[in-house]
Amino acid sequence: MLEREIELRADALQADGVEPVAYRTLFLGGGTPSLLSPDEIGRILQALRSRFLLAADAEITMECNPGALDPGWLRGYRELGVNRLSFGVQSFHDDDLRFLSRIHTAREARSGIALAREHFENVSLDLIFALPNQTRERWRASLDEGVRLGTDHISAYALVFEEGTKLNTLRLAGSVQPVNDGLEADMYCETMETLALHGFHQYEVSNYARPGRECRHNVGYWERHTYIAFGPSAHAFLRTHSRSIRWANVSNLNAYLDALDAGRLPVASSEIVTPGLALEEIVFLGLRSGGIIIDEFRAVAGADLAQIAARRVAWLLEGRYATLDPDRLRLTRRGYPFADRFALELIADLEAALPELMASGTGPQNITLPVLKNA
Amino acid sequence: MNHIRNFCIIAHIDHGKSTLADRLLERTGRITAREMTNNQILDDNPLEQERGITIKLHAIQMEYRRPPASGGGGPFILNLIDTPGHVDFSYEVSRSLAACEGALLVVDATQGVEAQTIANLYLAIEAGLEIIPVINKIDLPSAATTLPGVKQQVIDLIGCKEEEMILASAKAGIGIDEILEAIVERIPSPRGVGDAPLRALIFDSLFDSYRGVIAYVRVLDGELREGQKIKFMHSGREFYVEECGMLHMDRVKAPSIPCGSVGYFTASIKDVKDTKVGDTVTTAKDGATEPIPGFREVKPMVFAGIYPADSDDYESLREALGKLSLNDSAILYEPETSTALGFGFRCGFLGMLHMEIVQERLEREFDQTLVTTIPNVEYLVTKTNGEKITVDNPADLPTPGVIETIEEPYIKAQIICPSEYIGAITKLCIERRGVYRNTTYISSTRVDITFEIPLAEVIFDFYDKLKSVSRGYASLDYELIGLREGDLVKIDILLNSDPVDALSMIIHRSKAYAYGRKLCTKLRELIPRQMFEIAVQAAIGAKVIARDTIKALRKDVIAKCYGGDISRKRKLLEKQKEGKKRMKQVGAVEIPQEAFLAVLSMED
Repeated sequence: MLEREIELRADALQADGVEPVAYRTLFLGGGTPSLLSPDEIGRILQALRSRFLLAADAEITMECNPGALDPGWLRGYRELGVNRLSFGVQSFHDDDLRFLSRIHTAREARSGIALAREHFENVSLDLIFALPNQTRERWRASLDEGVRLGTDHISAYALVFEEGTKLNTLRLAGSVQPVNDGLEADMYCETMETLALHGFHQYEVSNYARPGRECRHNVGYWERHTYIAFGPSAHAFLRTHSRSIRWANVSNLNAYLDALDAGRLPVASSEIVTPGLALEEIVFLGLRSGGIIIDEFRAVAGADLAQIAARRVAWLLEGRYATLDPDRLRLTRRGYPFADRFALELIADLEAALPELMASGTGPQNITLPVLKNA
Repeated sequence: MNHIRNFCIIAHIDHGKSTLADRLLERTGRITAREMTNNQILDDNPLEQERGITIKLHAIQMEYRRPPASGGGGPFILNLIDTPGHVDFSYEVSRSLAACEGALLVVDATQGVEAQTIANLYLAIEAGLEIIPVINKIDLPSAATTLPGVKQQVIDLIGCKEEEMILASAKAGIGIDEILEAIVERIPSPRGVGDAPLRALIFDSLFDSYRGVIAYVRVLDGELREGQKIKFMHSGREFYVEECGMLHMDRVKAPSIPCGSVGYFTASIKDVKDTKVGDTVTTAKDGATEPIPGFREVKPMVFAGIYPADSDDYESLREALGKLSLNDSAILYEPETSTALGFGFRCGFLGMLHMEIVQERLEREFDQTLVTTIPNVEYLVTKTNGEKITVDNPADLPTPGVIETIEEPYIKAQIICPSEYIGAITKLCIERRGVYRNTTYISSTRVDITFEIPLAEVIFDFYDKLKSVSRGYASLDYELIGLREGDLVKIDILLNSDPVDALSMIIHRSKAYAYGRKLCTKLRELIPRQMFEIAVQAAIGAKVIARDTIKALRKDVIAKCYGGDISRKRKLLEKQKEGKKRMKQVGAVEIPQEAFLAVLSMED
């Protein structure tokens, strides 16, 4: 069915006159794509390559479960062109893994990664801190082990109790106790410092890489490049010289299949990113990652960030929360912990300075775009 | 006039006043059973229906023909004048009573007499009204046991004979005919002088955007006619009567309101403040010389600052208050500014319920989002130079050095409860600086306790506390008894040394320390951490009496950005943005709105 969606989408983009471009990254993720055999992955890649142009040096990432890896399959993925693996390890401590209901053990994670390194140079790990009952020492041990295993990329996320999740229900019921926010902040600062000492460069709030090993695909999200996405719940962003549109597929698998059966694209919602919304995105995504791109900001706002929000920018620089060079306003290690707060404050400044432009973000949303729904 | 009867119903909340009124309207054919919805006719404000209380007064006229067995005759014109059932509105009650010759005293057969009922009953007796005791809800199973006791209570209270009491169930329609007969038989007809100069008592008014003020009146002498030039004796304003008539389910136009009757009139009056409750209407030429006694300027007792949550909405709030006050002459407001809250209004209310009603109406009917400051009473300050000033905003209190004395309003609180709660209630009143006066047994198990208490001590949560220590059985009525000197001080709250004017409070010295400590702790919980440490201090003058610290924020970022789902992150941000917009700023510190009412949510 994924192949069907790829066909329909390609047709729709073509019908809409979207110029074909060479895509620089491909990310096979969400769920556990490593459950699919190289043959199955091969068919998907085949379908994509037949309708979309993939750059010769494209970064092709696949998300993997570190348990139960098959060496033959790993070799197979490599031969298909997959050149980066991302492991949802989360922790090298079995208590943490049990709490997170992971099916792998710390031991399996270690051996799985060692095995992956035999076939892939570019391997990334996801780790989680601020888990209930996780001590600083335990977190440090997981982090050290991640570094020791020779990976070049680590994503270290603080646990988030998100509304509507089972975890949050447990928290509200009092059966799960979040770590206190002081400890969480300590763990975060320690993560940033430790990884810096080991030669990792922080290029986003929770992402660290050795030079050149940043995940180009994720950077694309944060720098607002076009991305097309397939599968239930997939989110896409199309940016052309004339407009920017975000859309999302239905999340329900049956609804997804029904739409495709009927020859329709399974789009659930879409929105036009007005200049006001674009500015918000530029600010909050930029502050979270490699910095607000000065030129891009100017192109949308029609004015310089350093002028519009002169006082705020000066304050950030004085407090050593950020640095400003000709290209970007970038948060420092001191500033990253407050990225959301600074984004809100900067956006408030923009709303005061550019009321009309920013208000363009409040227009009617969820506009039906025929081209996106149907070929 | 012989065929007119003007009466009201005195009852405690939930004792069945509205149901009884509906039943009378139905039995006299004013409404059909089918027209009766679940909503009771007298309470037509949604807020009233929700709270089960009547706030504004209304009146309605019925026509009653006596059955042949009672000699037939009629039709009799029965004017039922409704009264509000809360202490905040006791002056309005007294004016409604002054428009009647009789009152139905409705007592729940299972609950007995409550303080509010007694207070209003005394007002009615003072006004010389004929009282018809009605014991309601006699069909309830538990009434069998409680009825003899309740009967005895009523006999002790008004000295009536047992056979004068009517046993009824408004819900089941029992006793309704007897009540109608008693109204005609026992309540005297009005005793006005038809050819004397006009004297009409205003007992209510409301604002209609098409016709201006609609005044509800009882004509005591003379006659009120369409086209007549009239004069309000207290305000001195003169108008031409544009339209007048009777009050059925709707207003019914008539050429005049005859002597002794109740009705309405319009006269292109733009402001309800021109038709003050209790004022006397007479003719502009050859009018009466003596106004109807009992008029009083309504004086607010409780004051609070009302501010728009978003300072951009100041104009819209002003407009809303303007419109609201067209219908509510009791609310007073004037612009004030606060360093913490910006531009807003200092408002005066009759009491806490009135304040709540105003707040709710502003929010519901006028779509305002408000920040309200801690309510306070009005103080009389004598300065060392002999000058006397009234202070209705703690921020305006002069510095301690120039204050000679501060006087605060006291009330006489009458509390009726089962005798086993005497101890708990006495303890509560003494905690509130109450001075014990006396206890009277109104029956073998119920007592009437009187305390004199500073008004400031009852405006917050006294009523709730009273209910909780008495498991809901105690009822309260109070009246203002004047000003008394007190050892009062002003507590200021400072955030990183910047005073937050909207959090200042005048309080008795003996309570200042505990209050300061509690408020600092509460504020520490309510004010979110910021980029720097915040010192929260409570101070009397220059002396800091309590201190707490809000530690600096260390992290304010969501770890994950949800892959390619940027819209989700943006929506989250949008939500935070709304929250931030509603923050108020003092110095560099951002304060959420809840903090300004922190004191109301403090536990003892």
